[in-house]
Amino acid sequence: MTATENIKIEKPPKGASIPAKEGIKKAILGVFKKALETEALDAIMIPVKVPETESYAWVLLKDTTLLENADPLPPVMTIQGGKVLSDLTKHGKINKNIAAVLRPCETRAAVELFKLKQLHFENITLISIDCPGAIPLSEYLAEPEKSKKSFDNVLDKWDGDDAVRKVCQICYRFSLPTLTNAPASDLHIGLSGNTKDDVLLIPVTPKGEKILERLDLKADSSLQKWETKIKEIKKIKSQRRKKFNHDFKANISGPEKFTAVFDGCINCHNCQSVCPICYCQQCYFDSATTKLSSEDYFRRAKERGALRFPLDTILFHLGRMSHMALSCVSCGACEDACPMSISVSQVFSLVGEQTQQAFNYTPGINREESLALQDYLEDEFCEVETPSECEPTNSNEVKENV
Amino acid sequence: MEKEYTPQIIGFLCTWCSYTGADLAGVSRLQIPPSIRVIRLMCSGRIDPLFVTKAFISGSDGVMMMGCHPGDCHYQKGNYYTRRRYKTINSVFESLHLDTERIFLSWVSASEGVKYAHVTKEFSDKITGLGPNPVKKEIFL
Repeated sequence: MTATENIKIEKPPKGASIPAKEGIKKAILGVFKKALETEALDAIMIPVKVPETESYAWVLLKDTTLLENADPLPPVMTIQGGKVLSDLTKHGKINKNIAAVLRPCETRAAVELFKLKQLHFENITLISIDCPGAIPLSEYLAEPEKSKKSFDNVLDKWDGDDAVRKVCQICYRFSLPTLTNAPASDLHIGLSGNTKDDVLLIPVTPKGEKILERLDLKADSSLQKWETKIKEIKKIKSQRRKKFNHDFKANISGPEKFTAVFDGCINCHNCQSVCPICYCQQCYFDSATTKLSSEDYFRRAKERGALRFPLDTILFHLGRMSHMALSCVSCGACEDACPMSISVSQVFSLVGEQTQQAFNYTPGINREESLALQDYLEDEFCEVETPSECEPTNSNEVKENV
Repeated sequence: MEKEYTPQIIGFLCTWCSYTGADLAGVSRLQIPPSIRVIRLMCSGRIDPLFVTKAFISGSDGVMMMGCHPGDCHYQKGNYYTRRRYKTINSVFESLHLDTERIFLSWVSASEGVKYAHVTKEFSDKITGLGPNPVKKEIFL
């Protein structure tokens, strides 16, 4: 729990309740259809099932007939939505009024990319949705029908079924706080847990309120029931995460075990190319600098007695970790993309959480907060200095200078 | 006779304070441990976490990060960022139970030749006590 999550506001927020007689997804798509028809939105960015195959792709659509194949909450996360939104707006804001429907981890990635100046939020209404997790991509592609059924089952029961990815089973940020003073998304879709009669549209920012206004929806339903349910699930998942991380840490700690986890790595860099946070145009690990001369290889082989190829796979993972652990949103895209089924996202999630805790920072939960590495206090972390130089007199002097 | 173990330590020093401090230590004829290999940077803020992890994985026994005292940075705030980066590397290493003892951060100003000699000796002694970096012998790394 970080400071942002503990902020309390006096007036309890309310949401617009949408009846969902024909299922949650139909109800949500109905709202989007109306939004497009009334021109409250110019277009919507939403996952759509690709014809002929079982896969999903992001489609920026205006044509409401395309909405029939759309799915606001597909059983798999094929492409990280934050990355898609960044591709769309990296080179400047868009002039059309569009909405993007993202899972919470995708929303948080989008917010992180916004902070990294890789995304523009102007004219974009970010719609986040409560997410029960996603099915591992490889499992889904092997048995799509079975996976769809098990996903519906998870969505029904709202408990970390074994069917979803490991990183989803232990995800306690499956919903987003709807605090108006610390916004992540503009509009949040609350799926009210085990009762499937209605869907809550919760406006977070003025942009979200405007959409509801244009659709003649009144935000007058209490969020209490939804909030209680979310809290309940959060508690279960947090405990599960704590236990899992505790056990998992014992399996990956120390140079030998850590090496063992990544031993199968074939250096394909898939994890890096699908990672929403790895936004660099040229990654150091893809550059020519990593290619050495044969003398250098021989020197290194001599030092260690032998040399393993491909070179520096562990350095790649450790280096990537030290670059992006603070912004890791634990979306699990890296693990889905790994051809060797290495538990990449579980390691990154664990390391990310501990690093973020050191800075009391939660990536992507608040747009107004600055990145941990782009900010500093003059008086902090004195314990890391050698020798530690944080006598009170010293720090006072610094303050006076400001 | 068994050869005495001398560790290999990489030091990243900022040119304005720590490097000048190290220079002063040399000019003052203070004893500096032979284990230190200095890399001069324009600012400690130039230190990419990757420099440190690379040095560590490549088998350095220790990595030093040194810069101006907080508030004294030649570029106003580079060392504040360094401190946060150090904290990041430290947390990553800590969560994986890698040897955080082998990395250290210190502020040495241009006039603190004595301090430079002192902290490097202490760090070098500590690393000598810890022995060679275990990753040195890992082939699958």
